[in-house]
Amino acid sequence: MELIDREDHQKLYFQLYEILKKKIESSEWQIGAQIPTEEDLCKMFNVSRVTVRTAVLELVRQGYLKRQQGKGTFIFRNIGSEGLTMLTSLQEILFEKGFQVTTKVLARSVMMPIGDLNIKLNIPKDKHIIYLKRLFLIGGEPGILQESYIPYHVCPLLLEEDLEHNLLLDLFEKKYGIKFTKVENHIEITFLSADEAQMIGLPEGSPVILLHQYFFSGQTAVMYTRSIKRTDRFKFLINLERKVA
Amino acid sequence: MSDSKVAKDVMIGIFEYPHVPYWFTISQAIRIVKVSFISTKKYPDPLAILVFDEKYNLMGTLSLKDILRGLEPRFLKASDTAQGLKEDESTLSLIWDTLFDKSSKDLAEKPVSEIMVPAKYYVEPADPITKAAYLMVHHDLILLPVLENKKKFVGLVRMIEIFDSISDAILKE
Repeated sequence: MELIDREDHQKLYFQLYEILKKKIESSEWQIGAQIPTEEDLCKMFNVSRVTVRTAVLELVRQGYLKRQQGKGTFIFRNIGSEGLTMLTSLQEILFEKGFQVTTKVLARSVMMPIGDLNIKLNIPKDKHIIYLKRLFLIGGEPGILQESYIPYHVCPLLLEEDLEHNLLLDLFEKKYGIKFTKVENHIEITFLSADEAQMIGLPEGSPVILLHQYFFSGQTAVMYTRSIKRTDRFKFLINLERKVA
Repeated sequence: MSDSKVAKDVMIGIFEYPHVPYWFTISQAIRIVKVSFISTKKYPDPLAILVFDEKYNLMGTLSLKDILRGLEPRFLKASDTAQGLKEDESTLSLIWDTLFDKSSKDLAEKPVSEIMVPAKYYVEPADPITKAAYLMVHHDLILLPVLENKKKFVGLVRMIEIFDSISDAILKE
């Protein structure tokens, strides 16, 4: 059984939440089954009642668990099996088939939210976020310039990942078990700034497609990305929505 | 003296402090000071912001004093080459007051990399705290980074913990 790691700097309730979520998503705890009582969970993981309650409440909030007064807490739904289909759709939005995509990481750092980033990510203004800036070469040519903002507590280990050879969305879903349940896409036309123009290889002021994407796992905003895609060589777009069990 | 104490025994986590990339402007850093310290009434000692490069290497630190210094109109700063003229500080502060609006607001758009204190000195986690004390005292540092294998930034040493450890050794009977 996976246990709480007290050396880990993630909060105990968040670790417990992740452990319980895995049990649900892997069907170790099946839909309809009752989960152990608070007291049993305290003993199983050697944590306080407050920690257990906070983790369980978050799972209730995200729709994994349902509480029935006087009876207990039950597994309500199990998301996960449709992840790969959704991932493929997400990747197709930016990278149409038939081109080889290579990634160049231009920046990978941690910063505080500026502007309205805290609102976009639904976090307090004094929480750290991971900042990634990547250039995607499509068929060897600069095609997409993407900035991603991820609340640091969502996936601290992302800072150490090889993002030139792994897809970020794959890492989230397959390695860290963070399943996207909703992605909001907002599309507009914009004009390249001098810096962007230099990176993407077009004259300043050229029109490009600007895609804002808000990624959610349950009710939690896990990432916001701002992608600029040149329009002169590549086609755009598709769809997406995951059915929830 | 505090023989067995090393940097990692007294270091604090890097997430105690706000992080910014070097291209943030001074005005963005000011907003971060406001939301991280002033609005939340959290006042870590010392009040500082950490400045990183695009590969998440620590480039420097930014104290409130560094920010205010960065907002001073340029001609108020002491010049090494000035001959004979002695600054009348009270007069200069009045001049700053009259120029504050136009000059300092322009300066606030400069990147923080221009006003930070570069992180030139560091200790390794296993270095004795006396080394940290020496570096902090002799280079007038408010925070000293702790780097693993000269690269990975794992923590910060502050004067208060260094002082505490050294004073324990001094006061020990």
